[in-house]
Amino acid sequence: MRNTKGRNAFIFAFLSPAVLIYAVFLVWPLLQSFQMSMYRWRGVSRNRKFIGAENFNNLFQDPVFWKSLQNTGTLLVVAGIATIALGVLLAHLTDGDGAVRKFARAIYLFPQVISLVAVALIWQFQLNPKYGLVTDMLFRLGLPVRDPGIVRDPRYAFSAIAVAFVWHALGFFVLLFSAGLKQISGEIKEASALDGSEGWHRFRHVTWPLLWSVKRTAITYLLIHILTVFALVFVMTEGGPDRGTETIVSYLYEQIAKNGQYGYASALAVVVFGVSMMASLAVLAYFRKDPTAGARA
Amino acid sequence: MKFVVALASIALAAGLAGCNSGSTPEAKETTTPTAGGKLTGALEVQAFQGGYGIDFYQASAKEFEKQHPDLKITVEGGPRVWESLTPRFANGNPPDLTFPGWGMKHWDLAEEDQLVDLGPALDGKAAEGEGTWRDTFDPQILALGQLKGVQYTLPYYVMIYGWWYDPEVFKKNGWTVPKTYSELLALSDKIKKKGMAPITFQGKYPYYMIDGMLLPWAQSIGGIDAVNAAQNLEEGAWNSPAMLQATERIVELKQKGFFQEGATSMSHTEAQQEFVQGKAAMVPCGSWLFSEMKKTMPATAKMEYFLPPFIDGGKGDPTAVLIGIEPWMVPTEAKNKEAAIELFKYMTSLSVAKKFVQEKGTLMAIKGSDHGELPDVLKVPSKTLRESKAVYSVQFRHWYPTLSTELENGLTSLLNGQISAKEFCDRAEAAADKVRKDPNITKHKV
Repeated sequence: MRNTKGRNAFIFAFLSPAVLIYAVFLVWPLLQSFQMSMYRWRGVSRNRKFIGAENFNNLFQDPVFWKSLQNTGTLLVVAGIATIALGVLLAHLTDGDGAVRKFARAIYLFPQVISLVAVALIWQFQLNPKYGLVTDMLFRLGLPVRDPGIVRDPRYAFSAIAVAFVWHALGFFVLLFSAGLKQISGEIKEASALDGSEGWHRFRHVTWPLLWSVKRTAITYLLIHILTVFALVFVMTEGGPDRGTETIVSYLYEQIAKNGQYGYASALAVVVFGVSMMASLAVLAYFRKDPTAGARA
Repeated sequence: MKFVVALASIALAAGLAGCNSGSTPEAKETTTPTAGGKLTGALEVQAFQGGYGIDFYQASAKEFEKQHPDLKITVEGGPRVWESLTPRFANGNPPDLTFPGWGMKHWDLAEEDQLVDLGPALDGKAAEGEGTWRDTFDPQILALGQLKGVQYTLPYYVMIYGWWYDPEVFKKNGWTVPKTYSELLALSDKIKKKGMAPITFQGKYPYYMIDGMLLPWAQSIGGIDAVNAAQNLEEGAWNSPAMLQATERIVELKQKGFFQEGATSMSHTEAQQEFVQGKAAMVPCGSWLFSEMKKTMPATAKMEYFLPPFIDGGKGDPTAVLIGIEPWMVPTEAKNKEAAIELFKYMTSLSVAKKFVQEKGTLMAIKGSDHGELPDVLKVPSKTLRESKAVYSVQFRHWYPTLSTELENGLTSLLNGQISAKEFCDRAEAAADKVRKDPNITKHKV
């Protein structure tokens, strides 16, 4: 009995700093934004007015909110699929212990260690209509990218954000899937080879199902990362041209920084929280059961 | 993670302000000047660190401290100082004197009784010479800091908006500065044939074009009243014939290929760099252009100001100048208001203002500060302002940010050929209508 008590105290002592920090800097602000979403508040004084659900009513009638939600959803699908597909592909290509492969994996990881603001600045520079390297390459391929310029062109601006995101995020997913591939034991690979399963067949029926836990982590991570993408949009396009790349978080920032609508911004934050929560739970529910559990038993 | 930080910052600010919800300060605090009184204690100044830096304010504070040895002044700032000041205002802990910069919603501060009425102080004695402090300011510029007759903010330097060209380049090519729109078209044709872009602009931030083309041309066509009617949200003012015709001029320049290729996606510094490097002949910008570009300007480059070309046959004033200020203010909850006011009075005295003009190369709101030898780049703006029969200012941007954003978005679509001039004006009018009908937005009048 005393041992259990001591053990509990020991666990408590180690957990409490993290829990405390989490509670003060995450849970408490989160609860407060729920509260703030029911007020009209300009953020410059103590004056604020309780308005119940008015911010939410206005939000659901706000076409820019729906547009930003739609843009975020499209980014999630397009950039999400591209990141996972390329991540798996590159993990396969660099699977193994050779020096070149290890080096390649490190190179892919490089953009991940740069802050997103720096990534955005790099891409802004590359896409400059006058001296951007990428603009120049695309122009030579015959694309009309010089005017109005990629980041202000409704045909290309969204793709520019998606490409910059994938470039930044890819390395992490290559690493994740590489680790996943390593977990698949040699015996399984050997057995499937003996059964005549090779190439695409083996990937589809053996490798892909066995990457189950990695896929779950990857999709959850992508979901949170894309739903809250801000710096890329803010630096590269400012949500433009004409809301073409406005995401839900860039619109939230506009409500605070430009409009001084802290209550409305909090309502937006609550919606982002709700959407992220529901989407994450849906992912967890979908991947709840290990499809390979029976096979391995 | 960024989202969490954003959430946390909202909530933290909410927490700071949370303890007194629903309350409204009853009495508006005012001050009375006590010139000559002994100033003591600490005085905190927070200033926006833009193109002109904060070194001048620090040096002025040092001088002022010498006159008031019992006063201890600290002058600090940053390029986004308003971000740290906003929660301080919300928490009732603002500095004593502040120039919070373009990002601060100072009209929100005024409406929330966070700023001292400086009217009584202005009626006190000036820091130098005879007369009141009020007499030392240009009254039209002073009016830009008033809301319903109350003087919440005071101006310091004055920005003059217009267009810029390189006189050496023009001279070499035998070009003359276009005074009218038809002259602009003829000149642009010549420039284009030379292989140079006639006009560049800061397309990433469309408000430069609103201030440099749309509003000056609406003023040309319909007079200052046409612009101010739009700012005052009068019905039909944003899609009036003057606004529509001004917008059509922008479309015409675009269609004739007179705008630099890619300018729509250039930031202010990118576009201005194209200008100083001689890749574009003209750029619309405010009088801060030289100080913003001097570090990256080729040694041979020159720049000279001119008024936006006047629309031929318009009923507006060809001498009218668009001006702007960035205001200073004393918070209601400042701890040393008296010293704050006296320090700012000292900073706006003629001798100090003249020094600012010399050191920073900008015009000031203080009468007579442009007398004497001026930096070269200021000579024409100063003469233009002196000779102008009227000035006007863009005020709606701070009053109604949602309207301003919609205009900027619409302008980008207009330049991309996605909407017509009429559709642009109708969008602007619809956005103005939304503001007009929103009872929660305080309405202002020019």
